[in-house]
Amino acid sequence: MEPMTESIPVVEMRNIKKSFAAVQALRGVDLVLHHNEVLGLVGDNAAGKSTLVKVLSGAYIPDEGEIFIEGKKAHISDPMDARRLGIEMVYQDLALADNLDVAANVFLGHEVVSAQLGPIRVMDKHHMELETQRLLDRLKIDVSSVRLNVESLSGGQRQSVAIARATAFNAKVIIMDEPTAALSVAAIGKVLDLVRELKAQGSSIIVISHRLEDIYQVSDRMMVLRHGRKVSDHPVAGNIHEFNERVVAYMIGARDDFAETAVD
Amino acid sequence: MSIVKNPQSMDLAETGNVGGAELKMSFIKNVQTLLQQNIREYGMYIAFFVIIVIFTSTTEGLFISSRNIVNLVNATSYIAVLAVGMTLVIVIRHIDLSVGFLTGFLGAIAALALKYWGLPVYAAIPLVLALGVLAGLLSAFLVAQLGIPSFVATLAGWLGYRGALQFATVSTGTIIISDNVFNAISNGFIPDIRGIGILPGVHKLTLLLGLAAIILFIISEINSRRKTQAYHFKVLPLDMFILKLVFVSALVGGITWVLAGYQGLSWAAVVLLIVVSIYYFIMSETVLGRHIYAVGGNPQAAELSGISVKRITYVIFGSMGLLCGLSGIMYASWLRSATTTAGNLFELDAIAAAYVGGVSAAGGVGKVQGAIIGALVMASLTNGMNLMHIDISLQYIVRALVLAAAVIFDVTTRRRGK
Repeated sequence: MEPMTESIPVVEMRNIKKSFAAVQALRGVDLVLHHNEVLGLVGDNAAGKSTLVKVLSGAYIPDEGEIFIEGKKAHISDPMDARRLGIEMVYQDLALADNLDVAANVFLGHEVVSAQLGPIRVMDKHHMELETQRLLDRLKIDVSSVRLNVESLSGGQRQSVAIARATAFNAKVIIMDEPTAALSVAAIGKVLDLVRELKAQGSSIIVISHRLEDIYQVSDRMMVLRHGRKVSDHPVAGNIHEFNERVVAYMIGARDDFAETAVD
Repeated sequence: MSIVKNPQSMDLAETGNVGGAELKMSFIKNVQTLLQQNIREYGMYIAFFVIIVIFTSTTEGLFISSRNIVNLVNATSYIAVLAVGMTLVIVIRHIDLSVGFLTGFLGAIAALALKYWGLPVYAAIPLVLALGVLAGLLSAFLVAQLGIPSFVATLAGWLGYRGALQFATVSTGTIIISDNVFNAISNGFIPDIRGIGILPGVHKLTLLLGLAAIILFIISEINSRRKTQAYHFKVLPLDMFILKLVFVSALVGGITWVLAGYQGLSWAAVVLLIVVSIYYFIMSETVLGRHIYAVGGNPQAAELSGISVKRITYVIFGSMGLLCGLSGIMYASWLRSATTTAGNLFELDAIAAAYVGGVSAAGGVGKVQGAIIGALVMASLTNGMNLMHIDISLQYIVRALVLAAAVIFDVTTRRRGK
């Protein structure tokens, strides 16, 4: 017998619905993420991709639907709940404090404490610096010193540090919202390398991107959303041109695999 | 690792074994590199040093005399205490305009408690400090809970505490304080050790404390250097490290000698040193300090990391209120009375000191030790120009130029650093 945990998805979202006033952002979306899988999530603006991952990361509470983490029903009502369950979100350029150094950013909110006197907790800075250096080495992220302030890093380095930070504390699932937006071509290459490295080390990842070629390069499977519904869910296969054509067809509504399940 | 990322620091690390003339060259080069890399941090200390040298020469040494330095420190301490709190307020991107009259009002409460309510000094001081914290939390409630911009919320405080101060002193006018213990806070000196024959006329306990401070500093620096090396992180080259130890030791030793030549360390200086030590430790070594800087640098990131911006805002304004209480006590003690206009414009002096000390309006940048240097710079200017009999109107203009220069220096070095 195969061990059961292998077949249980790390994340399963069932029939997620979410409305903002009169706008139905999500109309019953299912999402499955398997262990050690990279799932690409694409769709036009306002298709519901960000809303869907924000439901998973605890930023939004869904109107309907259920979330299972490793087969267990989960109640996620704020970002700290999600974090406790091992779900880490890399926010687009929001995650870092420019005035702090790399080590301080990686450990922000998780500081290692060496002594405590009432509310005063003394940090073990050396330990955090050393751990940060190990983490960066392990992920092959190239930053000259963990004591550099984040404001002096390049865009690609910043994004890498933000991703490293999300993976530092035993995350089961890493969600990346547009990780390559506003980066140079060389920096995009490095961030994609980092995604591959994380997968090689066993992480499960959801990537949202407008850049189809990025999704094509790193994802095992791809989901397309349109008007708050899932319209496609296929393994990534074929050459890049076929892939692009197929995805665009789903995005603009020319194809739809789940048409019969649509309500209203 | 084969990639050279920072050529300057590579230079620094490689000056291990060179001889004679080369050693001298590498020493000068190390000094240059160090200054270039840390110009923002060291600039302030250099400027302070220059001001001291200028005034010492223009007043024929009167400025650096023991008596003047002691007076200068005592007259600065109540602003310096406020500047520490104000620096933290600005670090988290707020401002507090209410501190001046709150300080005056709390000083008046201390005077009332001592003179009319019959409270002993050991009860009056905690009462005033507690009221200060309450006042700070009230500002924090307006800012954090109700979302009122701190400028407006504390402007209301400015008006309110001004009224409260006048109300408290309306029936009595100036309240004279006759409590000796209370008045010693800003006018008294630490006792000396009696019965030692050597060095007559010199304050022995002050010398001992200064010596202890230097030894403690050297030991902690060496320990921290060892620890850093053990973790294989970069450290200063040995000659620069020794230079730093010698410079700081000479500075502390010099100040100690000057103070010991008069009546020794004043209680106001002791209070100031304690405040600075506690705040320095909290800001640089504790989780709370790091979270305060994170909230200042990027409130959204801090919140997403599980740090409550609201809680930090309460802590910072609470601490500001506490320091207002302390400052009020020190000022009332300094004057031996509470007056109807006490604290007028203290908030602007504190803000100026914070900016001269290197705080950034963009948030997240600013150090406690900077606030102290900033307060000392501004007070030294007033004191030195008074000794030179420079017209008061010109004094304001000079102080304006120094404030502007400090901020311009900070902004340009920051831009170049990017």
